Amino acid sequence: MYYPEPISKLIDSFTKLPGIGPKTAVRLAFFVLNMKEDDVLEFANSLVNAKRELTHCSTCGHITDQDPCSICQDTSRDQSIICVVQDPKDVIAMEKMKEFHGKYHVLHGAISPMDGIGPEDINVPDLINRLKDEEVEELILATNPNIEGEATAMYISRLVKPSGIRTTRIAHGLPVGGDLEYADEVTLSKALEGRRDL
Amino acid sequence: MHIEKLQLKNYRNYHKLDISFDDKINVIIGENAQGKTNLMEAIYLLAFTKSHRTPREKELIKWDEEYAKIEGRITKRKQSFPLEIVISSKGKKAKLNRLEQKRLSDYIGALNVVMFAPEDLTLVKGAPQIRRRFIDMELGQIQPRYIYHLGQYQKILKQRNSVLKQLQRRSDQDTTMLQVLTEQLAEHAATLLERRFVFLDLLRKWASPIHYGISRQLESLEIKYSPTIEVSEEANKEKIEDIYCEKFKSIQEKEIERGTTLIGPHRDDLLFYVNHRDVQTYGSQGQQRTAALSVKLAEIELIYSEVGEYPILLLDDVLSELDDFRQSHLLNTIHGKVQTFVSTTSVDGINHETLEKAEIFRVQEGKVEA
Ligand SMILES: Nc1ncnc2c1ncn2[C@@H]1O[C@H](COP(=O)(O)OP(=O)(O)OP(=O)(O)O)[C@@H](O)[C@H]1O
Ligand SMILES: [Mg+2]
Ligand SMILES: [Zn+2]
Repeated sequence: MYYPEPISKLIDSFTKLPGIGPKTAVRLAFFVLNMKEDDVLEFANSLVNAKRELTHCSTCGHITDQDPCSICQDTSRDQSIICVVQDPKDVIAMEKMKEFHGKYHVLHGAISPMDGIGPEDINVPDLINRLKDEEVEELILATNPNIEGEATAMYISRLVKPSGIRTTRIAHGLPVGGDLEYADEVTLSKALEGRRDL
Repeated sequence: MHIEKLQLKNYRNYHKLDISFDDKINVIIGENAQGKTNLMEAIYLLAFTKSHRTPREKELIKWDEEYAKIEGRITKRKQSFPLEIVISSKGKKAKLNRLEQKRLSDYIGALNVVMFAPEDLTLVKGAPQIRRRFIDMELGQIQPRYIYHLGQYQKILKQRNSVLKQLQRRSDQDTTMLQVLTEQLAEHAATLLERRFVFLDLLRKWASPIHYGISRQLESLEIKYSPTIEVSEEANKEKIEDIYCEKFKSIQEKEIERGTTLIGPHRDDLLFYVNHRDVQTYGSQGQQRTAALSVKLAEIELIYSEVGEYPILLLDDVLSELDDFRQSHLLNTIHGKVQTFVSTTSVDGINHETLEKAEIFRVQEGKVEA
């Protein structure tokens, strides 16, 4: 079946979103056709503005509407520690916790050779430049606790080692407040690996 | 443990099936191509979520249908619980006690099954990957965590092979990423190898006396593990990891030249020796079959010692292939303790005693009559 071109284009745009397959895209496109024009305009504007007004901080790579971002500009933060994360969402999660007062570096991904993603394809070269320019003493590697995240952390740590900067890896394990018996086996054994003396 | 009930929907040549089994011996009789193996395969699938004869899941769905569903009710440690597998074009769902399990390692192990089918001769004489698959599946069902480690290993292996391919094309590139992945791979390889050694130790312990018995005290059976590194089976994980690291260092150039990982558990093999001779090369058909049978019977005991309950035994088309002595030996081993399914085209080749005790099912064109 052939849709009129404007609808086809809209359907095509929806399929570019994560988790949206062809069927859902068609449903969403027809839903938009039935929306009030004002609502559609507002929706379209929000999309464009979010993209135009938000950029990546040229220092740390976090999403921001000003460059450098407010975190990088904040001189009261500890300039000697950088926490390296994979995703802007991780920065937001860390900030919610209000316990970390250093700075961040967002990689936007993890190294995965089989997907053609090397260190240059994520924000690693910028990180190395930052380490040369700034007075950094410790790098906390908070990449995801899976194979790729682990490899990325190991890679960065090797790269940084000659500079003498301390690199640390966050611990993985049980969620606090969770019951031991409900934790899955994988989490449990990670927690066991990361045990410490009391 | 045993399976009380099996329900099939649009599975292979079964449109709809709902049957209950005897907790001791079930004999499934039917002509060729009526659905005997399909029935056994369904029980195997409930244990492993995979078929023993095809990696292509679409084949399991009845022709022209959308999905296939297999449900079983299992009794284990005096508790009864349901298992369910649904296969559709969207993929596969496995439910344990009505809850979907996303990770294979969270599902496997709920039901233990040992199958002996004509193809199992290839365990001795076939390609090495058949024997690796045997170790992986059997070790996995008594130690689900092994499946998780295996998955991690295979992922790292893929990553490492990609890096080696890149270096093969342009050897002037930085090798830091290769070193990182080598370290990761060595660690996971050591985990797998250490667990395989422990498993083999148990397997040997059971298989040797069983084989000696079946062969009327005429044959000894040895099982040797042939790894791609020089290592003692007593070595602990750290030691094995060190050996892998050393070996990887020494073959780095060769690996880059070839663009692939040359050592590791994914290249290991098992060797079977009867009276100190390699049965793969020198064994007769009968010796190979007996060796395979001994290994399968050993598994039954091994699972009992590790899990605390006997697995379900599936004998597809093999009982009538064994001579009287071997048949009785087998039936004595399982006597009264192991829920067993025997399939055959005719009752002629099967021992009277067995038939008397058994519940008989007749299969015809995807329908079963008790
Ligand atoms: N996806 C499917 N849909 C419908 N029928 C199928 C499907 N897959 C296999 N079959 C049919 O199932 C039958 C084979 O069943 P099965 O392998 O269980 O036979 P069997 O009773 O074990 O025979 P044999 O004694 O030859 O081993 C064949 O007739 C085959 O065409
Ligand atoms: Mg068959
Ligand atoms: Zn910033």
